[in-house]
Amino acid sequence: METIITAVLVIGTVWGGVIIFIRKAIKFEKNKKEIPE
Amino acid sequence: MQQNEFFTSRWGLILSTLGIAVGTGNIWRFSRVVAQNGGGSFLIPWVIFLLVWSIPLIIAEFALGKSTRLSPIGAIGKTAGKNFAWMGAFITFVSTAIMFYYSVVAGWCIRYFVSAFSGDLFNTANHLNYWQQFSESGMPVFFHLVAMVIGGFVIYKGVVKGIEKANRYLVSSLLIILIVLLIRAVTLPNAIEGIKYLFTPKLEFILDYKVWLNALTQNAWDTGAGWGLIMTYAIYMKKKEDIALNAALIGFGNNSVSLIAGITIFSTVFALSSTDAMMQISQSGPANTGLTFIYLPLLFSKMSDSILVNTIFASLFFMALSFAALTSLFSMIELATKTTMDFGLSRKKSILIVASAGFILGIPSALNMKFFINQDWVWGVGLIISGAFISFALIKYGVDKFRTNIINGFGSDIKIGKWYNIIITYLVPIEVTVLLLWWLISSTTWDPEWWNPFHTENLGTCLAQWLIVLSLFIMLNKTFVKNVLKNEN
Repeated sequence: METIITAVLVIGTVWGGVIIFIRKAIKFEKNKKEIPE
Repeated sequence: MQQNEFFTSRWGLILSTLGIAVGTGNIWRFSRVVAQNGGGSFLIPWVIFLLVWSIPLIIAEFALGKSTRLSPIGAIGKTAGKNFAWMGAFITFVSTAIMFYYSVVAGWCIRYFVSAFSGDLFNTANHLNYWQQFSESGMPVFFHLVAMVIGGFVIYKGVVKGIEKANRYLVSSLLIILIVLLIRAVTLPNAIEGIKYLFTPKLEFILDYKVWLNALTQNAWDTGAGWGLIMTYAIYMKKKEDIALNAALIGFGNNSVSLIAGITIFSTVFALSSTDAMMQISQSGPANTGLTFIYLPLLFSKMSDSILVNTIFASLFFMALSFAALTSLFSMIELATKTTMDFGLSRKKSILIVASAGFILGIPSALNMKFFINQDWVWGVGLIISGAFISFALIKYGVDKFRTNIINGFGSDIKIGKWYNIIITYLVPIEVTVLLLWWLISSTTWDPEWWNPFHTENLGTCLAQWLIVLSLFIMLNKTFVKNVLKNEN
């Protein structure tokens, strides 16, 4: 049981972090196309 | 200083920066350290230190590079004050000293890829002997040259046509290869035992302070936070580019790659090992090469009855390792090159100097394993001081002002809260102090002559080499300011 909890916590945090921040980056990138450099 | 070349897109910047962070440490060091520190028990502090060391320092590096558009000497001098430019020089020197021997490591990876691809790797049953014959010959010098030429060429091509283009192909390919290897590994019979070990926490390990210190060390060495490398790539990010979101993506992305590599290696070793799997993963071997260059080739030869299948998977593994090493090497060469350019030289002249010096000064590490281990020890621990200097620069400037005006300034997608002030002002300095004391005091226990600067791995050699470099840079501080910060108010 503790193996499953650790796996879910570790994989959830690390890979979850990637998924959340990629989704945010895609969302913000769409808005930024309008900003000139 | 006017900056003319920029990464063309956010994804180009992210893949290039991920190329810095993902190196051989993710693939071979991570699995070994997890095995030595109780599997799942290690992963819990490892995730915590990702949040309280790696990501805050990656944010700091992105912000320093983007705001100053200067390599670490100028960036630290401009942020902390001109009296502290020598700290930036130390950060640069540590990463450059690592470049000298890291190019040798990249050469080993390329050599093993060639061996695996040509089938030569499976012509022997004694992989320890195969490694010894290679490492004790002059061949590491040739492959060190190959790595340095590839790295020098990419950096010579510049930011967009060199760094960004190479990283787009290499990092994307690396991620795809690692996923292919992961799928193969987890579908091997008995692979589940390896995965179980990787994620099972043991109370006695969680309560052991050494496991926590090893988790912090792995984050400090593996993510590229505090090396000055991300700071250098951040010079080329557009003004409208975000800092905090990109930094978080790099930190989580780097540790995700470690996890993929860890699951792959634990599954493979537990599935194919006929002897004690844990002993095989945790063995260091010479310069920590045991698992990667001695034991894994043996396991790949036993992966299936088909030599072709074994050759394909061994080639893919060493190709991934070569790509990981090369993309990190690019950033080290770029750091030294950009620093030289800040002194007024052209990119062409700078890369010629850096690549030639890199090749010549890497030769002792290519030929002598004791010299290699000494340099890895001295500058590996020196990286912790680099992290402290970055934290100091922010504290000197004012962490709250830095956070509000630079990190949360123009282009920021997400705002960083006041928690960042606490981490940089208190937690990072505590982490640095504890980690440095632990490593240095530990080194006195494994060498009775701990004071002797001519020994390979002890306190004396660290202090002697650090003091020489620090004294020299403190004396040269005015020269750094005069040359690098001449156009700054």
